[in-house]
Amino acid sequence: MPATTKTNFELVSNGILNENPIFRLALSMCPAVGISTTVMNGIMLGIAVLFVQVFSSCTIAAIKNYIHPRIRIPTYTLTIATWVTVIDLVLAAYMPAAYKEMGIFVKLIVAFAIITMRLETFACKNSVPASFWDGIGMGFGFMFGMVALGFVRELLGMGTILGYDVLGFRPLLFFVLPAAGFFCVGIMMAMFNYMEIVYNRKRRAR
Amino acid sequence: MNISKRNYLLSAVWVVIGIFLMAGCATEHRFVKKTAFKETHQIVIEFAGPVDEAWAKNASNYTVYEKPDPDIKLKIQGVALSADRKTVTLTFTDALNQSQPHVLTANHIASEGKTLGTAILSVKKVYLGYLFSILIGAMIINNFVFTKYLGLCVFFGTSQKKSTAVGMGITFTIVIVVSAMMSWFLYQFVLRPYRLDFLQIVVFIGLVSLSVQAVDTILRKVNPLLFKAFGVYLVLVIANCIIIAVPLILADNEYNAFESLMLALGAGLGFLIALFLMSSVRERLELARVPPTYRGLPIAFVVAGLFALAFLGFSGMSIF
Amino acid sequence: MKQIIRITVGLTVSCLIAALVMGSVFVITDKAKKHNEHVDVQETVLGLLGYTKSHPAPSDLKLYSLYRYILTDADTSTLGYVLPVLKGDGVGYQLMVMDLDGQFIHQYPLDMTPEKASEAAERSSALQEVVKPPKTFVYADATIVAKLGKKRLAYLLPGEFPGFKTFIHVMLALDPSFEILGLEITEQEEDPGLGAEIKQDYFKNQFKGKSFEKVKDLHVVKEPLPDEYKAYLESKKAKASPIPEGEVEAIRSRYQDKDIYALTGATISSKAVTDGVKNMVAKFAYRINRLDTVISSRHIPVAF
Repeated sequence: MPATTKTNFELVSNGILNENPIFRLALSMCPAVGISTTVMNGIMLGIAVLFVQVFSSCTIAAIKNYIHPRIRIPTYTLTIATWVTVIDLVLAAYMPAAYKEMGIFVKLIVAFAIITMRLETFACKNSVPASFWDGIGMGFGFMFGMVALGFVRELLGMGTILGYDVLGFRPLLFFVLPAAGFFCVGIMMAMFNYMEIVYNRKRRAR
Repeated sequence: MNISKRNYLLSAVWVVIGIFLMAGCATEHRFVKKTAFKETHQIVIEFAGPVDEAWAKNASNYTVYEKPDPDIKLKIQGVALSADRKTVTLTFTDALNQSQPHVLTANHIASEGKTLGTAILSVKKVYLGYLFSILIGAMIINNFVFTKYLGLCVFFGTSQKKSTAVGMGITFTIVIVVSAMMSWFLYQFVLRPYRLDFLQIVVFIGLVSLSVQAVDTILRKVNPLLFKAFGVYLVLVIANCIIIAVPLILADNEYNAFESLMLALGAGLGFLIALFLMSSVRERLELARVPPTYRGLPIAFVVAGLFALAFLGFSGMSIF
Repeated sequence: MKQIIRITVGLTVSCLIAALVMGSVFVITDKAKKHNEHVDVQETVLGLLGYTKSHPAPSDLKLYSLYRYILTDADTSTLGYVLPVLKGDGVGYQLMVMDLDGQFIHQYPLDMTPEKASEAAERSSALQEVVKPPKTFVYADATIVAKLGKKRLAYLLPGEFPGFKTFIHVMLALDPSFEILGLEITEQEEDPGLGAEIKQDYFKNQFKGKSFEKVKDLHVVKEPLPDEYKAYLESKKAKASPIPEGEVEAIRSRYQDKDIYALTGATISSKAVTDGVKNMVAKFAYRINRLDTVISSRHIPVAF
């Protein structure tokens, strides 16, 4: 794929809507199902992924000319692992309570397919600024997905948003369980599909 | 597989089982055959020969404490001797905390007039049972896909047909066992002694890539047929969250070699079971009338949700 | 050939840079992590003793930590207590070794300041100077003694035990007669909405006020929590409806000697916490009595 000609804004919105990692590209679904039990978790993990994505994209874009093609994948993996370790240590030190809620998932960011894929398809062929904005788009797309899921699950499951008691009672505790994560992601994906079908229909009608 | 290879495999399996059984049987004193917990308040000691009644019935000859608390001696309420004088049952005032190994000291065992020295024995739940419970735990109770929601990308990608699903499952089990053992080794002997814990992530993912590469090369040389069937999935294994979650878990819980092996095996087999179940359903779904918005992944997610609900029924189960 | 050299060099260089980055981040964040942990523990302790921002602790409240180690020499084990002792104007540390039956063996002065004592690594290096191989030592647990003026106000025990999923870490506060003053769950990874409810007031506060005799025989009952008891337990929460004055005493005495009501859908977590607390209290009472006997018989000038 040659270097992109999109504007920076288009890159960002691409990450959030068209190529949303969770709902459209169907990548890194593990945390989407597991950790999206509250909005706070979604925000925290979203920030972590944003950080890793942006920094990895920029690093790879900066050194793309020095990477030998045969060792591409190990280099990506090494970069991602380094940044994941950094964000892991930083979160553990400065936000211990939120970090403990996320358990093992911060360390698992290294295995997210979305980041490696993004490095492979975008960062190694584009300049640092373009990679930066793309990383931001993807990261925010991920965060948006997680927050949307977390919002639905927290509200319907515990009756709170960000810890504040909104409803005063618990509608359906089921939504906090992992099984509901699967259901919610499936339904939201269907919604995105529906929006795409409607959008295509409108475009064809024009 | 041809006959001789199968024989080798079978004998290897028996050797492994034999080692396990032996690990649970021997005790630390030649005169004491076996010690075990009984019900909630009792410990049973089996001797190799009959013991003197006067010695056996004297509760002050025994000291029992939980291994991490050597200064707190448990109170013995009563001692019972069996008719053939080979089995002693100690009953305690408080319920025993059976998840902790206990240390039992029998002072100056007197049997048929001779003193046979002091025996310091450890009483614990059957180790084999513990290993087995880790295996079943990782496989079904805490299934990595349905209860821990890891490895979903690969899960949804390869569960469309039974053949791909089973192939992926088997490849994955092999790689995870190999990489988990290597990770355990490195963690115990390199990372922990030198306090390099923060390098966990990098080292583990490096080991995973190495094991994938190793399995790839070995399979190519040893069994090209197998390689043609499963080789494709090897690349996908790296993008699987489970493959790095297993080393992280065994580092966190500080398991020993056997326990790590059980965990890795359980994770792999659990993944295989999940894939198999999912592919069976998805093959049927292909022929069903699914609304267009739900076709493909959304309906697969809903099905996975139903499976997760079913597996919820296993939670809290504990064998041994 | 040149290719391979280039690849290896490239990989090695990147590995080194990565290691450098991670190492420096580790060193920087480690300090912040330790400081945050320390602040956390302080806040939990003060919260359990009843002091908050609006009701701060008096200036003569002092917290002293003592640490228990198990020393092993070939086949025999002995207990080692790292005790804060009065040294001139300030506080120094001493290792007091006693055998498993509570008899005093020896005491060694330790080269350690109170700030350093809270670090496990510092304690280990100080102990290594007096406990020479082949003797080895293993850390067992810690106790914080809160002293108001000259009297012991409370004992605070950090502890951990297995829960439903992984370990549950708690901080338990006992008064000098071993009645529970409060329980705080510091770390848990239970299911949100089910097992994680152990950190809610209506579960934690059930342990408050249970006497030593009751705790030794504490069980979990699978009955629904009565509404009036729940209102009493949550009376400190922001949006709680106030209970009439006379009622508070009546409710408290009615439920004081009852067993713990299990959480809905989390019996195993409730049992784990109850059994864990029971064990902690029983073992601690036994040990502190022995320690106090030795301290008074040898006239050790302990700071608490």
